[in-house]
Amino acid sequence: MKLLNPLLKCLTLVTLVFTSLAYAETAVIVSAQNANKSLDQDTIARIFLGKSKSFPDGSQAVPVDQALNSPTREMFNDKVLAKNNSQLKAYWSRLIFTGKGTPPKESGSAAEVKDLVANNPNLIGYIDSNAVDESVSVVYKF
Amino acid sequence: MYNKKSGIAAVLLISGQLSYANDLNINGFMSAGAGVLTNDDVSAAGYDDDVSFTQDTVVALQVSKQINDSTSATTQFVARGEEDYNTENAWAYVTYSFNDNTDIRLGRLRTPFFYYSDFLEVGYAYNWIRPPGEVYSRLDTFSSINGVDLTHNFTAGSADGSVQVYFGRLEDSFAPVEEAFEIDLRNFAGAVLSLNKDNWGTRLSYHQADVYMPDLMADPTGDALEQLVAGATALGLQDEFTPDGDPTRFYEAAITYDNGSTFLIAEWTALDHETDLLLNDQAFLISAAQRFDDTTVHLTYSEDKDEKQSGNVGLLQNNLRGEESSITLGARFDYNAGTAFKVEAQYIDEELRLGNDGESAMLYSVAVDLVF
Repeated sequence: MKLLNPLLKCLTLVTLVFTSLAYAETAVIVSAQNANKSLDQDTIARIFLGKSKSFPDGSQAVPVDQALNSPTREMFNDKVLAKNNSQLKAYWSRLIFTGKGTPPKESGSAAEVKDLVANNPNLIGYIDSNAVDESVSVVYKF
Repeated sequence: MYNKKSGIAAVLLISGQLSYANDLNINGFMSAGAGVLTNDDVSAAGYDDDVSFTQDTVVALQVSKQINDSTSATTQFVARGEEDYNTENAWAYVTYSFNDNTDIRLGRLRTPFFYYSDFLEVGYAYNWIRPPGEVYSRLDTFSSINGVDLTHNFTAGSADGSVQVYFGRLEDSFAPVEEAFEIDLRNFAGAVLSLNKDNWGTRLSYHQADVYMPDLMADPTGDALEQLVAGATALGLQDEFTPDGDPTRFYEAAITYDNGSTFLIAEWTALDHETDLLLNDQAFLISAAQRFDDTTVHLTYSEDKDEKQSGNVGLLQNNLRGEESSITLGARFDYNAGTAFKVEAQYIDEELRLGNDGESAMLYSVAVDLVF
């Protein structure tokens, strides 16, 4: 029982962490002024990988990333782009050095990304869904 | 306060990108490598049987600037260990964008012969320390071209594609055996079609140029190439062995598969010369890589076979004929985003070298590749 107790505590902790992770949803956002109200994962991935430069309605789309070590960014890369940091770095190094593309600008924290996106209808970003307010609209959640 | 400041900085960055204000992009890549060959009688990426550090060492800096809505300028300075770190411009071009999908570039460009041509020296972009020499090194001299190209990207259903056409000219010195000769490739043109769908990709390309080698003369005691011209002259075949505007064609086809953890590529190429001085050949590679977290293990087979014609032409050509294959086993460790450490063992079998039986060797190499 003495041995089991810490084990149980550990399990409880792990369960708690997983549950909180599951609830920490990430929202892909555009400005509230942007006419696009919903986007699918493929469209978002194409914009963030530089394969597409416009929203479905034809307006210009410019992706913004959070800072390099942001957990939200890693989650976004993993779930939406299906690539880890090294794979993305290799992907962009194939494009940067041929003049065929540049990666999204690194634009700081969730709050900074939200402010940028809110004020420019051409931008698209991702933030923790808890940080969403009426200045932006959520086009995709995961 | 701090947050607000960096927020403003970020706004400035973004608005800079959108309004093309002071947006000077600087990127770079570097590889530092070392290797040793077990047998000096085999030639492999410039290595010999003492450890050396220069062959796979390269540093490059790229500067690009968006001038206005449609025009940007890009240059890439490359310094290679094997060229005493003399700086060369691998790329230096002006891009004009007609729209989001169509660009025209004018200046010095990478000749798009191969699947890996665009990022030929960016070791970080692939798993090998260097692309297999059997396929890739035979056109090293011609890897950059001065000219113009047009690229159009398109989407067809769920497939992405691009078409690139180019035209240019290249004057350089070319050493097919040992000594270097002047070579002038005029009307150098080609087309590339790339298609990607889901995990699959294909690339098809065709290239041609008119070949002139104005300072190559017959010399029975000179370089193997000069001896060959001397032999041809004695047999009354000097015209066949003197490139004077003879077209050369190059064909390439590649297929790739990449699901994020498994990567496969097969690439086939062929050179077809009108002049008899240079030998037609076929070369291909087939490679598989498997990623386990931050470690990627890869295995590659590649070979190059020269072809000779029949009769006296073939007898002469046989003096240059080569056949080589290699097997490469290697690993890449992505120990940090932007930095990779690589180790490789390559078994190289030169079955034929200048028409004679060749030897075999192992090449062991390590490298660190980074992008910044």
